[in-house]
Amino acid sequence: MNVDPRTKLVIVLCLSTLAIFIKDVLFLNGVLLITIIISLIFKTNMLQILRKIKRLLYVLLAIAVIQSVFSAGGRTLIEVGELVILTTVGLQKGLEFVIRIMIIILSATIITTSNSREIVQGLVQWKLPYEIAFMVSIGIRFLPILIEEIKDSVIAIQLRGIEIEKIPLRERFRVYSYLFTPVFVSTIIRAQKLSMSIEMRGFRAYETRTSYTVLEMSYTDYLVIFSSLLCTSALMYLYVS
Amino acid sequence: MIYPIEVNDLYYKYEGNLREILNGVNLKVVEGEAVAIVGLSGCGKSTLLYNICGIIPHIYKGEARGQVKIWGKNILDMKLPEIATKVGIVFQDPDTQLFSPTVENEIAFGPENLCVAREEIGLRIERVLKIVNMEKYRLENPNSLSGGQKQLIAIASVLAMETEILLFDEILSQIDHEGKIKIREVIKELKGEGKTIVLIEHDLDNLQIADRVLQLKDGKLEEFKDGETVGLNRA
Repeated sequence: MNVDPRTKLVIVLCLSTLAIFIKDVLFLNGVLLITIIISLIFKTNMLQILRKIKRLLYVLLAIAVIQSVFSAGGRTLIEVGELVILTTVGLQKGLEFVIRIMIIILSATIITTSNSREIVQGLVQWKLPYEIAFMVSIGIRFLPILIEEIKDSVIAIQLRGIEIEKIPLRERFRVYSYLFTPVFVSTIIRAQKLSMSIEMRGFRAYETRTSYTVLEMSYTDYLVIFSSLLCTSALMYLYVS
Repeated sequence: MIYPIEVNDLYYKYEGNLREILNGVNLKVVEGEAVAIVGLSGCGKSTLLYNICGIIPHIYKGEARGQVKIWGKNILDMKLPEIATKVGIVFQDPDTQLFSPTVENEIAFGPENLCVAREEIGLRIERVLKIVNMEKYRLENPNSLSGGQKQLIAIASVLAMETEILLFDEILSQIDHEGKIKIREVIKELKGEGKTIVLIEHDLDNLQIADRVLQLKDGKLEEFKDGETVGLNRA
């Protein structure tokens, strides 16, 4: 579906608002289903993105388990002697947390179907200062490079005979701390070089700037935005009542 | 006579360093001339270019004495954006120069900053892509290109700003043989168009592009004699 990046931003905003506002597992499941359908319409590569954030998902699950254990109330599901480990309320809260985060992650994938320049332009046409929008896009652009750099440094350490996977956790943290300085320094150098290149291409030469990319909203965009806002309001009303 | 580039008795010391890396540099480049500067690693070639394009003292601080003039105007009296309309610089590593999602956006970035009209930007994109022979990559992501192609896009991005002076800081050093041939051809074409070019080179085989070759030695520029090839490469 070919729509303006601003329309996609509105959809993401609506879905994220619902994810935060609603505190009911059934309702949240409905929102998650809607999010998946919308993501499929926009042909986002959900599986690839989920695979990329696999490690983050483990952390999410761990948080959900901790939240379940520490949220008391409802019927006891697991107990050891006098100690209550898991209750229905705890389980519900853990599930809510996972679903909520999944909605936010999956809805964010909708934005990835536009390129960063279009998103920046969308934000600028929404009167956000260009410098801020540009900074955000540069941050996103260099994130994968930073990750590559960390991976390269880990490989460099492994090539010196340290098998990171096989050493105790405490030692592993110490090894990872060695990475901090080289990665930090190279990031600063890279940022310096990038800023030189940007400045030498006239960045902030004048108060304003022209734009080769210009976005124009179509009737479809207005229709999608209107429907998104209407559905979001309706769902919130339905939930509250 | 007003020169596009004029450096008079330039001394420069980086902040925190005791030694002056530039030690009385004098350079006059006439319009349409291509000057190559060679020298050992760390001798101050890039520092000299940074002084010419205003990165020093506008971004990097340090102790500087002497004068650098662009078309007769002291760079100390010019702001960086003003210098950017007159001097274009291409750096060694294309990866730190390209940040846009498409080649077209990358080339448009400079002219957009200079408030060039949208239609004119479109024409410039077409023109510079033709010069670097990369027309078919217009909508590609620069990240997916080879090193040589990335450097060609970095050159195109600077060319789109239509500056009369071009500085090339070892732009061939990270490029494969085929890429080098292409970029050399582009530089020759730019020279033919009357651009004033200063290029830093490490590889003696690339010096044939230049009208004049100078060597930076002990912080001073002197005429380069081909016999003195210590520390320089010949492919």
